Amino acid sequence: MDDSPIDLSSLDPSREPERWKQLIDEVVEQARAAHCRRMSVAHQLVAWTVPALAIAAAFALVVWAGALSVAQRTATAHNSAADPAFVLARWAMTDERPATSAIWQVFGERYDRD
Amino acid sequence: MLDDHQIASLVEQAKRGDSPAFEALAKAYLRAAYSVALATVGRPADAEDVAQDAMLRAFERLESCREPARFGGWLLQIVRNQALNWLDRRRLREVPNHCIPLEPILEDSARGPMGERVPLLRALNALTPVRREVVLLHDLEGWTHGEIALALEISEPMSRQHLFLARRELRRQLSEPLIEEVDHG
Repeated sequence: MDDSPIDLSSLDPSREPERWKQLIDEVVEQARAAHCRRMSVAHQLVAWTVPALAIAAAFALVVWAGALSVAQRTATAHNSAADPAFVLARWAMTDERPATSAIWQVFGERYDRD
Repeated sequence: MLDDHQIASLVEQAKRGDSPAFEALAKAYLRAAYSVALATVGRPADAEDVAQDAMLRAFERLESCREPARFGGWLLQIVRNQALNWLDRRRLREVPNHCIPLEPILEDSARGPMGERVPLLRALNALTPVRREVVLLHDLEGWTHGEIALALEISEPMSRQHLFLARRELRRQLSEPLIEEVDHG
């Protein structure tokens, strides 16, 4: 059986060398122009905007979470220190004899709040 | 044909916007891109446009070419996608008809020295897309079965099989009009 190549030369686009060369030149010129556009300052800014915003958002989230945690711990400590029962218990455990002014201060704050 | 090392080197240079690298890659692969586009869109003029667009798209996306040495296969996949998109757009643009989709109209240029294109395109239309690609890459571009197998992600024996069947079908298709003419004569 004949298995020789089929003559497809009539479909060869480079049968017209000038036109084919022009086609290649157009591709090269447009590729070069597109590369220059990508490298321009404005394009670089646009390209970096999304990752920069993402990094900023992640950083803000970390800072916010940290601040929230610190605030919670401070509030807990403050509440404990102001609680008369806690203060009395601490005095009892450490065998401390507080000054009268300190007693008034502890209970006075409570009365003030009530 | 460029070797893997040369291709990879050209791709790296093209990533940096080197014009001679763009030109070398276009010279090496634009014809193959045209063949694959022709296998899908069926019209030489459209195939040229698709090949050109796909080559540009590939140059713009070189960063995503993970294996620069396999630039050819990667490019041909882009060509195939572009050609399918082109076909979709053409179907929307054109009034549907039942003619052969592969350049059915005898253009003025086709009646002259390029007239032999029409029966060839009709015959190619009778093949499956992969056989069209194989026969065009082998018999028009002069690619080896190894190169075709690598680019189309098929085995070399499969490439040979496709070529054999494609040529047989093309010969059969090309001989049919002659028989009809004899019958009518």
